[in-house]
Amino acid sequence: MNITIGQYYPVDSPIHRLDARTKIIAVLLYIIGLFAAGGAAGYALAFLLLAAAACLSNVPLRLMLSGLKGIIAIILFTVALNLFFTRQGNIVLQLGVLKITDFGILLCVKMAVRLVMLIVASSVLTLTTSPIELTVGMEYLLKPFKKIGVPAHEISMMMSIALRFIPTLIEELDKIKKAQTARGAVFDTGSIAQRAKSLLPLLVPLFVSAFRRADELAMAMEARCYRGDVNRTRMNEPKLCGVDYFTLVLFALFAAAAFLLRTRGL
Amino acid sequence: MDFIKSDSLVYEYSVYNEAEAKNEKLRALDGVSITIPEGQFVALLGHNGSGKSTFAKHINALLTPSEGVMYVRGMDTSDTKNTWQIRQSAGMVFQNPDNQLIATVVEEDIAFGPENLGIESSEIRSRVKNALLSVSMEEFRKSAPNLLSGGQKQRIAIAGILAMKPGCIVLDEPTAMLDPAGRSEVIETVMRLNRQEGITIVLITHYMEEAALADRVVVMEKGRVVMDDVPSRVFCEVERMKELRLDVPQATELMHSLNKKGFALNRQVLTVDEAVDELIRHGFKGDMNDTDIVREEKEYQKRENIIEVKELTHIYGRQSAFERVALKDVSLEIGRGEFIGLIGHTGSGKSTLIQHFNGLAKPDSGVVLVDGTNINADKRELASVRQKVGLVFQYPEHQLFEATVYKDVAFGPHNQGYSGEELDKLVRESLALVDIDESFYEKSPFELSGGQKRRVAIAGVLAMKPQVLVLDEPAAGLDPYSREEILGSISLMHKKLGITVVLVSHSMEDISRFADRILVMNGGRAEMFDTVKNVFLRTKRLEEIGLAAPQISLIMDRLCDKGIALPTDVYTVDEAADILSRVLR
Repeated sequence: MNITIGQYYPVDSPIHRLDARTKIIAVLLYIIGLFAAGGAAGYALAFLLLAAAACLSNVPLRLMLSGLKGIIAIILFTVALNLFFTRQGNIVLQLGVLKITDFGILLCVKMAVRLVMLIVASSVLTLTTSPIELTVGMEYLLKPFKKIGVPAHEISMMMSIALRFIPTLIEELDKIKKAQTARGAVFDTGSIAQRAKSLLPLLVPLFVSAFRRADELAMAMEARCYRGDVNRTRMNEPKLCGVDYFTLVLFALFAAAAFLLRTRGL
Repeated sequence: MDFIKSDSLVYEYSVYNEAEAKNEKLRALDGVSITIPEGQFVALLGHNGSGKSTFAKHINALLTPSEGVMYVRGMDTSDTKNTWQIRQSAGMVFQNPDNQLIATVVEEDIAFGPENLGIESSEIRSRVKNALLSVSMEEFRKSAPNLLSGGQKQRIAIAGILAMKPGCIVLDEPTAMLDPAGRSEVIETVMRLNRQEGITIVLITHYMEEAALADRVVVMEKGRVVMDDVPSRVFCEVERMKELRLDVPQATELMHSLNKKGFALNRQVLTVDEAVDELIRHGFKGDMNDTDIVREEKEYQKRENIIEVKELTHIYGRQSAFERVALKDVSLEIGRGEFIGLIGHTGSGKSTLIQHFNGLAKPDSGVVLVDGTNINADKRELASVRQKVGLVFQYPEHQLFEATVYKDVAFGPHNQGYSGEELDKLVRESLALVDIDESFYEKSPFELSGGQKRRVAIAGVLAMKPQVLVLDEPAAGLDPYSREEILGSISLMHKKLGITVVLVSHSMEDISRFADRILVMNGGRAEMFDTVKNVFLRTKRLEEIGLAAPQISLIMDRLCDKGIALPTDVYTVDEAADILSRVLR
C-alpha cells in the first residue's frame, strides 16, 4: 500500500531548496501583506510575488489550485455575505430586500482574490516542503520559546513519529477490518448507535496495537541512546544561506510595501 | 578481552497477584554467569519465558541486575554514569521491524543514534553512508521505511546500530517475523559483520539453522543457563533439547535416529553437507536392490470440490502508477476434506488468493466457486460464504478485542445470529478443540501468553463452524514448542472434524508433514499443485523460485547426485531414517 501524507511534491527547485523556516516566515509575511493591501497596486504586487514563487517551484499549477477545492464553499459564502450585506456605495441591483452595491462588488472581489492567493501561497509551502522538513522548521522556530516552557523538541519528535506511524496504522486497520469481516462483522449498516458499536472490534485492537508499538518504540529509542533534547545534533543541521536571507528580505519588503500603498490609498 | 561478563546475575520483577491482593516477586533470571569474548558469535536459545530476552536487555542496560553484576566492556551496567556508553557499545535490534524505525526516511533513521550521541553533522553523514554500505542498502537511502520489506527494515535497524560504532550487536529474535528470504538477508548480514568487521554478536532465535551458524550456543531454561557449548555438541543432545521445548536441525535429528537404530555415525552434524559426507564416509551396502526401499504409496484420490477457482486474475491499484498484478489466470480445485499446503514467498500472491476464498477480495476476472456457488454473483451470498470458509489471518491474536476469552470467541457465531445454548455450545466446542479449558473463559484475552492468544483467536474462527479453514502462517513467531502445539491441533481438527484445511506456511517441513497436496505460488501464478511427493521430486525448481526444500529432501537429493539410488521424495526424519537404515552398511 502506498500512502502519502500531506501533499509534498518531490521535485527539485529553488523553492524546494529553501530552508523550511524561511518558507514558513515568508508565508506569514505574505499573509500579513495580503491583508494589509488595500488597492489594485497592492494586489498586483502580491500576485506578481506569488506567480514568481509558483513558477520557480516546478509544481504543476493544477496541484496548487487543487487546494482551493476544499474551501470553495467558504469563499462563496464570504463572497455572498459581502455582496448582499454591504450597505455602503451606490446600489447597482435590487432584489427585494437584497441590495447589491458597487462598493460591495469591489469588496467581495478583493475578498475572493485575497483568499485564493492565501490558499495558493500556503499550498506552495506544503507542496515544496516535506512534512518532516516542516516539523524540523517548526522546531527551530519554536526554540526561542523554550525558555517560557514551549516543548519545541518534543512537539517535533511527536509529529515526526506520528508521520512515520500513520501509514503503518492505516495498514493495520485494513488488516483488522478484513479479519473481523471474515468473522461476519458488518460495519456499514444499521442505526448510528449500532454503527458506533460495530466499530469496537476495529478500534480496540487498533489501540492495543498502537500502545504495544509505542511501548516497543520507546524501548528501541532508549536503546539507541535517546534521552530527549540533551546534547543532540542533527545529520542535516538546517542552515540559512544567502538565498534564504534574500527571500526573507523580499517578503518583508512586500509586507512593508503593502502597508505603504494602503496609506497612499493605492 | 571479555566483551560481556555477567556473574550470578539475578533479575526479579513484581507482579500484582489479584487473588491474594499483593505484589509477588518473580525471578526472570536466576544466577546467570556468562562470559562472551570480543568477536564471538553467540546464539541464545530457550523457549518463550526462559529469560533470554531479559538477559539480552541487561547487555544494553535497558534492565539492570537485582543481584549480581553485569559488565559490558568492563563497565558496570548498574552504574547510571555508564548507561549511554554501554548502549553505544552494545546496540540492540528487536523483533518487530516496524516498531524500531522512527524516521520517515531511511538515512534519517540511521542517523538517529549518532544524533542522540551529539556527534558532529559531517561525521554522522559519513557514518550513515558506511552503515548503509555494510548492510547493502545504499540505494534505499532516501526511501520511506514503510515501503521496504521486512528483511530490508531489519537491515536498516542493524545499520542504525552500526552508525553508533558498537563493538557488539544484540539481536532479539530479529528474524521471527520475516519470510525465508528476509531471514537469510538478515542472517547473512549478521554473519558478515561478525566475520569481516569483528563485531561481537548475541543472537536470540527460534530457528535452529541460524543458531547452528554460531560459534557458541547458550541454552536457557527458567532463568538459568542449562547448556553452553559449540553448536554441534549442543544439538547432538537431541533428547535434552526436546525436553527443553527446543528443536534441532533435521540433519542432526537424522543422525540421532540412525544412531538409535544402531549405526555408528558421528552425531555432531549440523548441515546437509556434513550429513551427506558422514553418510558417505560410513558407506552403503554394495548390492542395493529395489526391494530395500519399497514403500507404501499414498494414492491421491479425487474428491468432490469444495472450492473451485477458474482463471482468477486480481490487479492491485488498477490504472494507477502502482498497478500490480497479484494473481494471473489462477485455476485450481480443492476437494472436500483435503489438507492443502500453500507455499510461496512474499509477494507470490498467496495472501491475495486466500482472500478470494471467502469474498474479502473480488476477482478482476475469473470466478470463485465455493460449494458450487459463484460467491461474487450475489452480494447476499457473502455472509453464507464467510461462514463456510473461515479465514485465520497472520498474527490473529492482534484482532482480539473483547473483555473475556468467551465473549471474543462468541463474536463470530453471534454475528451469524446464534444465541443462547446453541452459541454456548459452539464457543465451548471450539475452545476445547484448541485446548483452552474453562478456567480461561472469563480471563481477558490480553492476559494470556502468545501461544494461548493465538489459539483463542483460531477458536474464534472455528466457532463459526466453517467447512474450510484457511490459516495464514498460524505458527509464525512462536517458539518451537508452541508451533508444534498449534500445528498439532490443526491436524487433529482436520482428522476429527473432516474439515478442509488450507495451510499457508513458509516452512516446507511443516507443510510436508501434514498436507495431502501442495500448492506452490510464484509470481501470481499457481506454479505447481500436486501431491507432496510430486512437488518434492522437483527440488531443483523449488530452489530456483526461492523455496528451500526440507533439509531431509536435500540430503536424499545430494546422496542421489553422488550415485546412491535413493528416493528423493522423502521429507520427514523418520521416513529418511527408516530408508537409510535399510541401505546403510
